[in-house]
Amino acid sequence: MKKILTIGDAGPYAVKKALLFMKLTFLLMFAGMLQVSANVNGQGKVTLKLNQAEISKALNSIEGQGTYRFLYNSRLNDIGKKITIDVTNAEIKDVLKGLFSGTDLTYTLLANNLIVVRSAALTLQDIKVTGKVTGPNGEPLPGVSVYLKGSSRGTTTDNNGEFTLTVPENGTLLVSYIGYDAQEVAVNSQAVVNVKMVASNKVLDQVVVVGYGSQRKRDVTGSVASVSGADIAKQPVLTATQAIQGKVAGVQIISSGDPNSNPTVQIRGVGTMLGGLSPLYVVDGVITDDIRNINSADIVSMDILKDASATAIYGMRAANGVLLITTKKGRPGKMLISYDGTVGVKEIARLVNMAGAKQYANYVNEANVYYGSGDSIITSAQLAAGGNTDWYDAITKKSLQQNHNLSISGGGDNINYFLSAGYVGDGGIIQTNNFKRFTLRSNNEYKISNKLKLSSLVSYSRANVRNVNLDVFNIAYRAAPYVPSKVGNKYGNTSLSNNISNPLLLLDAENANSKADRIQGTFAADFKPVSWLTLRSSMGIDINYFNNITYASKYDNAGPNSVFIESGGQQVVNRSKLTVQNDNTNKWVWDNTATIAKTFDRHSLSLLLGVTSEEFRFNTSTGTRLDVPASPDQWYLYQGTDTTATADNIGDKWARNSYLGRFSYSYDNRYMLNFTFRADGTSRFPVQNRWGYFPSLGLGWNISREGFMSNQKTFDNLKLRGSWGRVGNDQIASNLFVPIATPNVPYVFNGGQYYGISFNQAVDKNLKWETTEEYDLGLDFAVLQNRLSGTIDLYDKKTSNALINVKFNGQYAGSFDTYITNAASFTNKGVEFSLNWNDKIATDWSYNVSGNIAFNRNRITGLNGGAALVDGNVGAYSTTLSDNGHPIGSFYLLQADGVFQTAAQIAASAQKDAQPGDLRYKDISGPNGKPDGVIDNFDRDFSGSYQPNFTYGISGGLNWKTFDFSFNTYGTSGGKIYNGKKADRPNAGDNIETDVAKNRWTPDHPSNSIPRANINALPASTYFLESGSFFRINNLTLGYTLPRTMLTKYKVQNLRIFITAQNLATITGYSGFTPELYSNKSTTANGLTTVIPSATNAGIEYKIYPTTRTFAFGVNLGF
Amino acid sequence: MIMIPTNKYIKLLFIAALPFLGGCAKKFLEIPPQGQLTSDQALKDPNAAAELVGGVYNSLYFGGFDKNTVGFEWVMATDVASDDGDKGSTSGDFDINGAGDIDNFRSNANNGIFNNLWLGYYTGIARANQAIDILGKATFDSTTRNRLIGEARFIRGMYYFNLVRSFGGVPKIIRYPEPAELTKDEFNTRASVADIYAVIIDDLQYGVDHLPLKGDPAAQVGRATKGAAQSFLAKVYMYQKNWQKTFDLTDAVIKSNLYSLVPDYSLIFREHPVNGMGGNNNSESIFEVQTGPSLTEGAASPLFSNGQGPRAVKGWDDLGFGFNNPTADLVAAYEANDTRKNATIIFIQPTAGAPNVSTGTVLWDGYRLPSQDSVVNQRYSYKAYHSPIAESAQPSGGKDKKPKNIRLMRFSEVLLMYAEAAAMLGNAGEATAKLNMVRTRAGLPDGVGTQDNIWKERRVELAMEQDRFFDLVRQGRAGTVLRAHGKTNFTDGKNEVYPIPQAQRDISGGRLTQNNGY
Repeated sequence: MKKILTIGDAGPYAVKKALLFMKLTFLLMFAGMLQVSANVNGQGKVTLKLNQAEISKALNSIEGQGTYRFLYNSRLNDIGKKITIDVTNAEIKDVLKGLFSGTDLTYTLLANNLIVVRSAALTLQDIKVTGKVTGPNGEPLPGVSVYLKGSSRGTTTDNNGEFTLTVPENGTLLVSYIGYDAQEVAVNSQAVVNVKMVASNKVLDQVVVVGYGSQRKRDVTGSVASVSGADIAKQPVLTATQAIQGKVAGVQIISSGDPNSNPTVQIRGVGTMLGGLSPLYVVDGVITDDIRNINSADIVSMDILKDASATAIYGMRAANGVLLITTKKGRPGKMLISYDGTVGVKEIARLVNMAGAKQYANYVNEANVYYGSGDSIITSAQLAAGGNTDWYDAITKKSLQQNHNLSISGGGDNINYFLSAGYVGDGGIIQTNNFKRFTLRSNNEYKISNKLKLSSLVSYSRANVRNVNLDVFNIAYRAAPYVPSKVGNKYGNTSLSNNISNPLLLLDAENANSKADRIQGTFAADFKPVSWLTLRSSMGIDINYFNNITYASKYDNAGPNSVFIESGGQQVVNRSKLTVQNDNTNKWVWDNTATIAKTFDRHSLSLLLGVTSEEFRFNTSTGTRLDVPASPDQWYLYQGTDTTATADNIGDKWARNSYLGRFSYSYDNRYMLNFTFRADGTSRFPVQNRWGYFPSLGLGWNISREGFMSNQKTFDNLKLRGSWGRVGNDQIASNLFVPIATPNVPYVFNGGQYYGISFNQAVDKNLKWETTEEYDLGLDFAVLQNRLSGTIDLYDKKTSNALINVKFNGQYAGSFDTYITNAASFTNKGVEFSLNWNDKIATDWSYNVSGNIAFNRNRITGLNGGAALVDGNVGAYSTTLSDNGHPIGSFYLLQADGVFQTAAQIAASAQKDAQPGDLRYKDISGPNGKPDGVIDNFDRDFSGSYQPNFTYGISGGLNWKTFDFSFNTYGTSGGKIYNGKKADRPNAGDNIETDVAKNRWTPDHPSNSIPRANINALPASTYFLESGSFFRINNLTLGYTLPRTMLTKYKVQNLRIFITAQNLATITGYSGFTPELYSNKSTTANGLTTVIPSATNAGIEYKIYPTTRTFAFGVNLGF
Repeated sequence: MIMIPTNKYIKLLFIAALPFLGGCAKKFLEIPPQGQLTSDQALKDPNAAAELVGGVYNSLYFGGFDKNTVGFEWVMATDVASDDGDKGSTSGDFDINGAGDIDNFRSNANNGIFNNLWLGYYTGIARANQAIDILGKATFDSTTRNRLIGEARFIRGMYYFNLVRSFGGVPKIIRYPEPAELTKDEFNTRASVADIYAVIIDDLQYGVDHLPLKGDPAAQVGRATKGAAQSFLAKVYMYQKNWQKTFDLTDAVIKSNLYSLVPDYSLIFREHPVNGMGGNNNSESIFEVQTGPSLTEGAASPLFSNGQGPRAVKGWDDLGFGFNNPTADLVAAYEANDTRKNATIIFIQPTAGAPNVSTGTVLWDGYRLPSQDSVVNQRYSYKAYHSPIAESAQPSGGKDKKPKNIRLMRFSEVLLMYAEAAAMLGNAGEATAKLNMVRTRAGLPDGVGTQDNIWKERRVELAMEQDRFFDLVRQGRAGTVLRAHGKTNFTDGKNEVYPIPQAQRDISGGRLTQNNGY
């Protein structure tokens, strides 16, 4: 067995190298067997006397003495070097030391006395290690990270838990997996290394994505939370963010029942007063604003960066936190096919009871006696002839919700692949509403060499939506119940009763269908020329093609073609109209980063440097024509009359350019420092203010690793973190600092149309970055053998130069009476707690419970000379005022103070004109700051805001044998809701809620809470303000995994069936459809309209899509 | 497979660093607005200044339930406030904080109509200020330049006239400030009534001095003319009781011989002339809002016609919202045989008792309105009627933006101003002569040109043309007349002007003072 490795001259060097590996492996395995059979003790002494002999000869000589055998490549340069040696009964290591001194040769003594000699200069003597990673019960664990310590060389286990990795034979493997203790395993030249993982609650060794890289949770100094993809995919929701509701302290998710909606996400309070209220989303490194195209089943994890030190690496857009989404990748090994699906029923979660026909007639007639002509608004003849319509029944429905996902993943040495297809169908709960989404994903990694890896992560999605006009929800509230909704094919004519459209006809007659095709992907190359350096270049693309076709049918309200039971009224469409809108969005982000990572002794250093640029282009075209035929196949502009054609086209373009850096240092895993810096340039600010600079510093102290903690048993982990950072916000429309003309402002001269221009906006030519500075102090701990772990975070955020819409007096004007400028500052201060408990009761029983609660206090601290912001218009009244010392979007209302019962009370009040039964308001102030005996605008007062005092969530699971049960809950407390739909009653014939009809003040039934029948909208007061607190069981799931013994016959790896209920029950004092309110506001700037969440308009129930409840049955199947 | 020798790392690092350098390109972030005309670009365009003036005219369309200048809500604030018009429509419609409060003089500062007027006028004024500022810097031929400035100032003066009559003293803004100046007192406090009148007179006088006469090639139909400026300036002086100026200016208009009464009163408010008489821009039109059936339906004052159109109870496709109903008091104000009565008021026929069927009301174009059982109100304004049969329709077939020209100044008003000024100056002969020109056209016997008679004549001649309320205020008898009419809430010393909109006061931080009594 000597010198068996002789390699010919043919073939490229690298191939030879691979061959060498293979042979070595074979040999080492064989040697391993020898060890068993030969049982050599390996302690033989060596005697050697040679003069000017080649080293190889010396080795032969030692072999000849019987104890040791050598393995080397005869082409090693120094093996032929001449040496002189004279030793007797010497230790082999001393002999070899002598022999090899002055050469580049080194050796490894294997346990069976085989000695491998190699050149120290080359790493050729790496060995291929294979192994299997299993869980505590011996089950294979796929997806486990196996890394060579001190390098970035690594892999993940395949579906059978197996891995193969080429490492130095004296290397150490770092094996880590979420939810298990990380292990370090010395290779010791073993060709097979099997690792059994120990389940852990310690999250310290999780790898969290932190932006342009990842860090061990242990090293993180900012506030970062992770939610696993499995947790997200479990819930039958359409957008991933909905599924993290209640799971992360300080992250408030406000979702709507609208199947195609993008939930509002607020991290640590209201972070901005104007644009960009949402956090930044980063999908596989690509920055985006909208993740509705991402199939939840494709997500591995979602990492939420909460504080400025964590987010500052994303500088410009990070003011409201960052949500990083990592999608699944293939793993080497057998192909795994899995199917996950749910089918369920979706229904409206809460309904509001409206008065029936008689109650309604009674109420409005009484109101007309009090306030109007005194005549009957509704006569008994009308009642008798009419019906008793529940308009909400008429416009809502139950629908089928289904979700199917199929994925194939696997890989080999050089290519890993993950392919998935998903389909979501959701009918919504409003008539005619419908949503379908189809997604495809292909995530592939190509290992070109040990140094170069390419990856492409691409998704395609198509969403088809039939949208509904949400006005119908308010109209149904107002519609008179005696008017039938539809009889046969004729509609009830609601416009004759109280001048509103028949909501059902509105839904039926307007067909707004949109299709969105979106391709989003990342193409990246990772090059690692040396172990400590990684160069990465990635190109992210996001291409969105949106097509919307709206067909408004023609219908008559009189004559033979009238669609109404009774003709007449205001609801009529004389000519059909087709609107076709095509939008193209094209965005790219090019990131180039260099990461240097080095560990020596107890010092671990890493440095990231990068530059990124991104560009966004948008182009929208809209055309309309009239008289297009009713058949959907004819819905092309070509079919309309060209004399009525209109066409419009506008676009947008912006760009950003950034430089970033992060320096991380950790000493002995005890002291951690992270410093990040980012410089962002944006086209959205004028040249003099274009660049923003966003530094951050984070410090961590892992107290539990200190010497003085080594003897204590209480804390398994105790870590203190502190950070400071500054981030920015440029989320405003493009070109707001440039005065732009509105063209085509028509006027008629000489009988012909002339097109003028006007400058319709005021602009701040000195617009600049909005910046948020944040301090965070955090403590992570784990006690009771890691069964209980938790985190406490204290933070203080201050936003200055906040971009707001400053309203100015009409007299300055342009068409807009507001302009956007940096004129506010506000703070968010809070504390967050989360606790996790995880335990096993007996072999078959395990459970976990986790809870979190987050308190946040939002205050406006300075409106720089600008007046308070008035918003939240409901009918003729504004309801919110954002002013110094109060939370953003505070309700500012008259203070309702019961109901007048007697004339004496009225005489003593500030409302001399009132009648018994009218609402009484508090006389708080007047023009001179004192109560003045008049109820007017001076008597409005701050009355809370939609922002809750705290949000909380409790979730947990229980496993018994192969049954699993889990629950998620979520709640908020302290927020207020203005019941806008109830307040806005512009017509005397508008309906009221049953409760109002029944319990209103009448002389015989004096109420002190509900006023007498009224004919019009009452002024905005606290009468319409309700508590927005709620607690909800978000999800209950019961699953059963079939035993393997039943499945192997069918080649099924695993099969789990489950039932799940989403949004099962909500406990709330709020009387409306949902306490979870969405506050989108549309703004138009420079011809482009954007709809974004608005904090100054939040918490008003008005034209909302109610939340829904889903019951579903599901299957998880793996082959 | 790739194998990079060690000695090339440096090169590699250099290659990797290239994109870092590439990102520096300054131009990358220099993105001009897409598809947008910036002010800089606009100012380089010689046509831009003229187009800006076009934008000022466009503000005449402000209406509907949005900001208003001379549109639907101006009708509510003037005719409905007066004894000519009732709010109309159904009882609860647009009542509280809307037209109903105006009708009954219970408005407070939250009434959205006032805010919409405020915004409408000041938006128009801002557009005028911009055009005037830019034109001031322009270097093209001075005649054209001065004419364009004159047009912009004419409209600005007209808007200030409506503002001062509506609210009393208002902020005086005659330049286009930078947003940074917005919080200055200058833009947040009220100037005196006298200061505002000075601005109005200055603006209109500029128009008188620089605008071409009607018929001049430069005076396209629809543009402000010298005659228009003289007529409005005369009216302003009339409000100031400067009778000599009123007399001189109206005299000049009359003597220009460019205007004459349309023989048939009922043809004044039609779109198309009949036998060369009446129609849009007819012989007695001095200034009117020009509209047209544009594709985007943007060249019309929203709801002006539809808002005042007859409203159905049920059973027929009605003409509108039914606001601003002529009062019985107005009906009674017409003398017998006054041809203007039936040209001003659409009378709904009473329901015929069964088995008879009412003929309904057949309008000039043959359009039939059903009888009272199918129509909400008893009377509607004929002057706002836009025929769905015989006149230009909206391309979409909708009703909200019917292209109805709004007559803002007619020659008959000039004659009546002349007559009143003559009467006040002691020239009874001229007063009577001009009064009788108006009466003769209406088919009435001659009268005597006393101020009282002229006031009466103004009411019926200009009924439902947004003149009456401020005319009563001017005459100093608004309280007397309106209380007698049943508007008992009218308080002297308060209701002659409207409240300053609360929304504007809030924004000014309280620096805009409120009017007496509100």
